[in-house]
Amino acid sequence: MHAQLILRFIGILIFFLGISTVGPLLVSLIYEDGSSRALLYSMIITSVIGFLIFIASKRDRETHLSHRDGVAIVTFGWVAAGLVGAFPFLLSGTIPDFTLAYFESISGFTTTGASILTDIEGLPNGILLWRSQTQWFGGMGIIVLSIAILPFLGIGGMQLYKAEVPSPVVDKLKPRISDTAKTLWYVYVLITALEIVLLFMGGMPLFEAVCHGFCTMPTGGFSPKNASIAHYNSPYFDGVIIVFMLLAGINFSLHYKFIKGDLTIFGRDPESRVFFSLVALFTLLVTFNIFGTVYDSLGKAFRYAAFQVSSIITTTGFVTADYDLWPSFSQKLLLLCMFLGAMAGSTGGGMKIMRIVLLVKHCYQEIFRIIHPHAITSVKLGGRPVPTDVLSSIWGFFLLFLGLFVVAALIMASLGLDMISAFASVAASIGNIGPGLGLVGPTKNYLAIPFIGKWVLIFCMLLGRLEIYTVIVLLMPEYWRK
Amino acid sequence: VKIIIVGAGEVGFHIAQKLSEENQDVFLIDKDPEKVRRITENLDVQAILGSGTSPDTLRDSGIQDAEMLVAATDSDEVNLIACLLGRHLNPYIVKVARVRNPEYLKEKDLFGRDLLSIDQIINPESVMVETIRNLMMVPGASDVIDFVDGRVKLIGVTIKPDSPFVGRQLLSFKGMEGKLLVGAIVRGEQVIIPHGEDTLKANDLAYVVVRTDELPAIFSLLNIKDEGLRRVIIVGAGEMGTALATSLDQTKINVKLIERDSQRCTNLAQKLESVIVINGDGSDRNLLQEENISDCDFMVAITGDEESNVLISLLAKGLGARKTITRISKLSYIPLVSAIGIDTVVSPRLSAIRAILQYIRRGKIISVAPLKGEHAEAIEAEALETSDMVNLPLYKVKFPKGALVGAIVRDGEIIIPLGDSVIKPKDRLIIFTLQKVVPKLEKLLTVKLEYF
Repeated sequence: MHAQLILRFIGILIFFLGISTVGPLLVSLIYEDGSSRALLYSMIITSVIGFLIFIASKRDRETHLSHRDGVAIVTFGWVAAGLVGAFPFLLSGTIPDFTLAYFESISGFTTTGASILTDIEGLPNGILLWRSQTQWFGGMGIIVLSIAILPFLGIGGMQLYKAEVPSPVVDKLKPRISDTAKTLWYVYVLITALEIVLLFMGGMPLFEAVCHGFCTMPTGGFSPKNASIAHYNSPYFDGVIIVFMLLAGINFSLHYKFIKGDLTIFGRDPESRVFFSLVALFTLLVTFNIFGTVYDSLGKAFRYAAFQVSSIITTTGFVTADYDLWPSFSQKLLLLCMFLGAMAGSTGGGMKIMRIVLLVKHCYQEIFRIIHPHAITSVKLGGRPVPTDVLSSIWGFFLLFLGLFVVAALIMASLGLDMISAFASVAASIGNIGPGLGLVGPTKNYLAIPFIGKWVLIFCMLLGRLEIYTVIVLLMPEYWRK
Repeated sequence: VKIIIVGAGEVGFHIAQKLSEENQDVFLIDKDPEKVRRITENLDVQAILGSGTSPDTLRDSGIQDAEMLVAATDSDEVNLIACLLGRHLNPYIVKVARVRNPEYLKEKDLFGRDLLSIDQIINPESVMVETIRNLMMVPGASDVIDFVDGRVKLIGVTIKPDSPFVGRQLLSFKGMEGKLLVGAIVRGEQVIIPHGEDTLKANDLAYVVVRTDELPAIFSLLNIKDEGLRRVIIVGAGEMGTALATSLDQTKINVKLIERDSQRCTNLAQKLESVIVINGDGSDRNLLQEENISDCDFMVAITGDEESNVLISLLAKGLGARKTITRISKLSYIPLVSAIGIDTVVSPRLSAIRAILQYIRRGKIISVAPLKGEHAEAIEAEALETSDMVNLPLYKVKFPKGALVGAIVRDGEIIIPLGDSVIKPKDRLIIFTLQKVVPKLEKLLTVKLEYF
């Protein structure tokens, strides 16, 4: 453990997040929405705090980050980012309570999109942009962003990258980690810009187009409208947002390869094939389930089914329909989507399709071995064998994910939530989705969750975003033993 | 610049590390999943699991647009085939191969344009024999690096606790200005590029720049006795031991070669003229005493077993050998053995790394020598007209912290610089630098470390 080094890095992170308030500040000045003062103060306070931490931490001779340091920097960095994110809400008085402000901020950075705000439209534009911006930074990852822009990290960057983007199979786009991070961010910015342009051309006001763009690509789901995307009731916006939610749910290295000219990559990649098949299957199932029971036209049923399925499976959390009123079968399918999540290497949450695919293949292999006890087999993905230690790490992840889910859901139930709400609120938090079912359904929000429950969910959101291991490692006594 | 390295053994690993620290795009291929994982965790390079002799793997690593292929596995055959495939997949790629088998090396045409077209063969063994010979010629030094075609030598000298220089500031060395310059001090694991105010401590390894022709005078000044080189004992007649003995055969030097294997001894005895071949165990105390180890100037422990080499050297030191040279392969042992009193260490891997890096970094940088500990280098470079450091007295040049000019060569004249020396365009400079300021130094030299 290099405490000084960790502090130093977190100082830099806080400083940059503070500086990034400049965008919302400018917007608030343009719209004269009265939040400028709060944003300015918040910018000054956080960047000064960050700078002081940076100065105060001694320069360590050792610059090589160990994996332990990486884990600590990433987890504490995210906790600190949540604090920085809460400042504008607190200072502007839009969310005067610390727990609520921190909940909203962590929900933003982890791209969950669970809100405690009842009247979002009443917020000043500067604060709204800040809220969307937390999601946008959190989506591709604040640490990945730092790796891209801070030149001195070198190999230390790899440790941080692995702690923030713990994909089952490490996929480096470029030989150097800072180049990989830069490339990912270029792709991310490019697709976000494209979406903003398409929304704007469809007639959405520029500010709202920017906010939605900032919240779609990270699969976040904060909307500046109370009714989310349902506010517009426009098939065009629904369509555009469905496409971009799905894009956000795809492994970004596939996007990079696509841009590089490999046009059939989405069809060839085994994970993306499963992902698209599942989206298609669930959409069809939900369409036929709600056709006739909720909607009397097939087109409408399809439109709402496609949007909700894409939104939940990519863990975005935008809504165009109150699926809390849908038949139980559709609700359970959506709950299943919450667990599946998007592709590894995407901005989405959940358990990730890659892990599910490998687990299913591994199960199949075990059954196969009962039939052919002497067969030598190996689990393959896209023709490449997957090492057994990767598989056991995925099983560990699966068990931890479910175990933590059950424990958190029990705590929520003990706080007085009904069964569906307890399950759905935890699933929607640990999967970084946002809206759940019941008490936290698509038309409601998280304000009604008890105080302790909010902190449990905050923890779940962090767990989900950093894919369990990075956070849980810090809770192990073994980690702190010298 | 994109560089593909085949083989993540110690040589490949260290070259990859060096190059990635200089922000090159490095692809490292190895067929051991464990090594690939170690690399992914420790180096900022793209590690690829696969064989360097597989065209598919090479294609995956993007050989088509790579500039250079370094085949650095332990197997000559793999290296040669990798180069052949490299040539097949990308005719313009520059190929460097590590080849050890003397039989291959004899077939010069094999590497020519018509067949493999390998641009540079690195043979660590022959490089190492050269290093050992160099060390023997400068008996007081534990490291010798040649610059400017051997006319300037960079010698590493261990400061003995009873040396008159211990505890003295560098700028107090009166009467030596313009003759020698301390360019780097290795203290434990740390490398210091010194200022005038720095002091030397006991057991420091000081890298000193001197003119080759002034070497004896400098040595007497430094209180290092140069008793000449008359008697050498070599323990171990493997490939390297044989090569060394052969190169010393029929010189004035009295060479004894100790080898355990009697068959090999017989063969060697028939081949060698004046070298005395002795069949016995190099770690046998009586044998060493019998062969007058206490009178020998150099004892070279060069068997294939590095742990034995260390013990033989320690034994020889205890029995009164004046200097020992120890062959060690594992680079991580190097800092350890100097701590237990072994003065000079040679390593075929370090030699290979030096040789490959020197070849890779051509352009206006003429030669590069990594110093002990790998964190510092001595670079030979040409001063360009456009550089900010020409035509200014040195003390006015804004050198990055951790870089120092050790010598200036102008029209054949060698200047060991003082603060008021002036660098002129086209001068050749020897610069000591810490690895981490190399990029800043490049900027100052307005030279890109060119790769190809």
